[in-house]
Formats: sequence, structure tokens, C-alpha cells
Amino acid sequence: MVAALKAEYAGDREDLESSAKIVKFALLKKQEEQDPTQEQELASFEEAMLPHMDAAHNLARWLLRNEQDAQDVVQEAYLRAFKSFGGFHGSNGRAWLLTIVRNTSYTLLKKNHAVDLTTTFDEEIHAAGDESASPAVLLEHSENAELIRIAMDELPAEFREILVLRHQEGLSYKEIADIAQIPPGTVMSRLARARGKLKEYLAARIGREI
Amino acid sequence: MNCEEATKLMDGYLDRELDPVTNQAIEQHLRGCHDCEQAYKIHGSLIGAIGNATPYYKAPAGLHERIQLSLRAEIGQRPVTNGLRDRAQVLRKKPRNVLLEMPWNWLALAAAIILAAILASNLVPRLQRPGAEEFLATQLIASHVRSLMANHLTDVLSSDQHTVKPWLDARLDFAPPVVDLSPQGFPLVGGRLDYLDNRPVAALVYQRRKHFINLFVWRGETEGDKTTQPISRQGYQLVHWRDSDFNYWAVSDVNEKDLQEFKQLFEEHVASR
Repeated sequence: MVAALKAEYAGDREDLESSAKIVKFALLKKQEEQDPTQEQELASFEEAMLPHMDAAHNLARWLLRNEQDAQDVVQEAYLRAFKSFGGFHGSNGRAWLLTIVRNTSYTLLKKNHAVDLTTTFDEEIHAAGDESASPAVLLEHSENAELIRIAMDELPAEFREILVLRHQEGLSYKEIADIAQIPPGTVMSRLARARGKLKEYLAARIGREI
Repeated sequence: MNCEEATKLMDGYLDRELDPVTNQAIEQHLRGCHDCEQAYKIHGSLIGAIGNATPYYKAPAGLHERIQLSLRAEIGQRPVTNGLRDRAQVLRKKPRNVLLEMPWNWLALAAAIILAAILASNLVPRLQRPGAEEFLATQLIASHVRSLMANHLTDVLSSDQHTVKPWLDARLDFAPPVVDLSPQGFPLVGGRLDYLDNRPVAALVYQRRKHFINLFVWRGETEGDKTTQPISRQGYQLVHWRDSDFNYWAVSDVNEKDLQEFKQLFEEHVASR
């Protein structure tokens, strides 16, 4: 999928570069007929979904840990979303879109044989041990964005996902359960484990640095 | 509640996702348990700080345009195939699509939203005027909402106008027009009997994408304007019109433009019969 996507986007990028030149011609050109119902559908789709692009990109970026993949996935997700827009019932556009972004991201992660889908990690790297920082020291460093980024990126995908959805998107447990496709009762315990792990990783890093 | 339970529920409590009874039980425990209280405090401020400091990756400039281009390519080439190489060709063939990507388009959209907000705010005081129309509007919306809520959208479920019409004719002392607008994107779902403004009325149910439109029809003997201003309330749109025989009220949560289009199509189809 990645190779295919990249080849495709090469074509798209050319278009973007030449778009400025095309505009002038387009102004002179007569408008082509297009199916009006499709155009209307696209208009209402864009109205409902484009405002959530930052959220979509942020989630994909955290899941894939790679900017290019994230952009590819967001584009792919928007296309998928548009195709199934008829099945969307209009209540929570952001959660609906994020579900598709999440699924598209996992498809790519699986294709890339990314092994971090669930909780497996290298105990040696992450051993907290004696060097681990105390809660007070941890709190001092808790505004260090770069440190948090590194520690977050070390978490398994299911933890990154739930932390992004809760901390950054402020979604309810119910919405998170829908997006991550887990029972609502699991959200709290997974979130607790994700936060615990993140604290642990941060403490280990800080402990090693100071 | 003991310490073990309090620790287990810590994240749910801090996220305000627990029920009031559990919240109270936790608070009672925290008042008596210094260790747990400290743990809650530290965990709370830590996850708050971490959440705030976590980098947020906004969509980069260009992604918007790229996605809009690919969406337009999608509708441009749907009959042909998939694969973005084809899409790219379509893009070259349809340069006017590029216009839609320009920033001014977003300014125009923003302006339109502001204008709509101004219009809406001007409209509101007029709508709050008490009176018969207001009362009717309330009834219409209530009826629409009830029809969707109570799983009683239709008495006769059919997309065939020749099924719906005789069914209604047999139950009312008038014969409301029933037209099928599915080619125009408003498929007929069915019909229902309703009671409004102290009279039995026909309710025709149409669909627009996933939204439903209730079209209430009754014999028109009321005086007054031929049509009244469209009304927008509580997220519902109401459009009223009359012809020589009937009064029509269309109620839906679709946007006003769609509902106006629906009205126009319906009128055209009735007139051409």
C-alpha cells in the first residue's frame, strides 16, 4: 500500500505545483458538467469533515510516528470516509472520522509489520530501576514537550492512541470505546495502564539524564 | 471503599467519568486516607501537565489542498476506475477543480457562515413572536421529532407512490398528492396519518441522504399568504407553501437549501401531473 500510495502522490504533487498556472486557464474555461448530486454530497461531506483534519492528522501522526505516512493515511481515510459517508448518521463527525483514520493507520502499521500494536516492549530499554525519578522530579519535567514526545513514541500503539484521544481530543470514555473498538469498561483500565507506562518511561529517561 | 478500589478508580475519577455515587464514595475515602489523597493529587497534576505538554501535530499546509483535490478526483472519475494515476489525469482534465482549493474559497465560506449567522439572528426575534403560526410550528416540529423517536415514522412503508397514495386516500377525506422524487435524491419512504391543527393530516416521509423529511399535507381552506417565510428552529427547518387545494409543511433537519429544493421539486411534480 505504501509504495502504491507514494507513486500516486507523486502525481498529485505535480498537480499542486502546476495549479497556479492552471487557475488562469480555468477562469476562462467553461465549467464542465458534473453530477450535481455528487457535488452536493461532496460539499456536505467537506462541510462536516474538513474541520476535523487537524485531529485526523494528529492521531495518524502519533500512531504512525512518521509524517509522510501520516499524511498518506489521512488522505486515504478521507477518501474512505467520503465513500461511506452515506452510512454516517450525522451525530459525531469527529469520532466517526477518527475511527476511519485509526483503522487506516492500523492497516498500514500491520502492512509494515510494525510489532508494537499491543503491549510488548523492551524491558532493558525501559527498565525503571533505581535511576527512576521521583514524582516530584517527574512533575518538574512534565512540561518538557520533547521528552514527552520521545516517551510517548516508545509506547505501544494502543496506548498512544488512547492518550491522544483523551488528552488531546478530550473525548469521553464512550467515544474512545467506539473509536478504539474496545468495550467501554476497558477504557479506564487501559488509560490507567497507558498513563502508568508513560510516567514510568518518563521517570526512567529523566533518571538517566540527571 | 478501600485503598485498592480507590487506586483502581483513580483515572475514572480524575477524568470525571464515574457516576455520582462512586464519586462520593471516593471522596469520602480520600478524606480519611492521606496516602490515597496524595496519590490522586500527584497523578492528577501529572497527567494534566503531560496532556498539556504533549505536542499536537496540526495538519500541515498543503494537506488540505491535497485531500480536496483527491476528493474531487474521486467524484470526477468514479465511473472509470481506481488508482491515483488515473486520478491525476482527471485532475489535469478538470482544472476548474483547482479553483475550489484556493484560499479565497475559504474566506468566502467564512463570509457565508457569518452572513448566515447574521440572518439567523435577525430571524429569531420574529420567530419568537407568539401566534398561531408559532403554535403550528411547535406542533409540526413535535410531530416530526415524535415520528423519528417513537419508531413510528410510517404507517405504510413503501417507496411506491402508487401504494402510499391509495392507502392515504382510503383513510382521509381528501386525496393528497404523492410524488416520487428518488431520481432527484429525495426517495419516498412511506406515509403516515397524523393529527395537527385540530384535523387529520397526511404525513409523507421522504429521505435526503440519512435525514428524513416529514411533509404534512392537509386541505387548504385557511386564508393568508400563499407561502410564509421558511422557519428555522432548534436545528429544524420548516418550509410552508400552498397550492389551490392543499397546505404543505415540510419539516426536517436537512439544511434549508435542500428543503427549498425539495419544495420546488415537489411543486413542479404536482403541477405537471
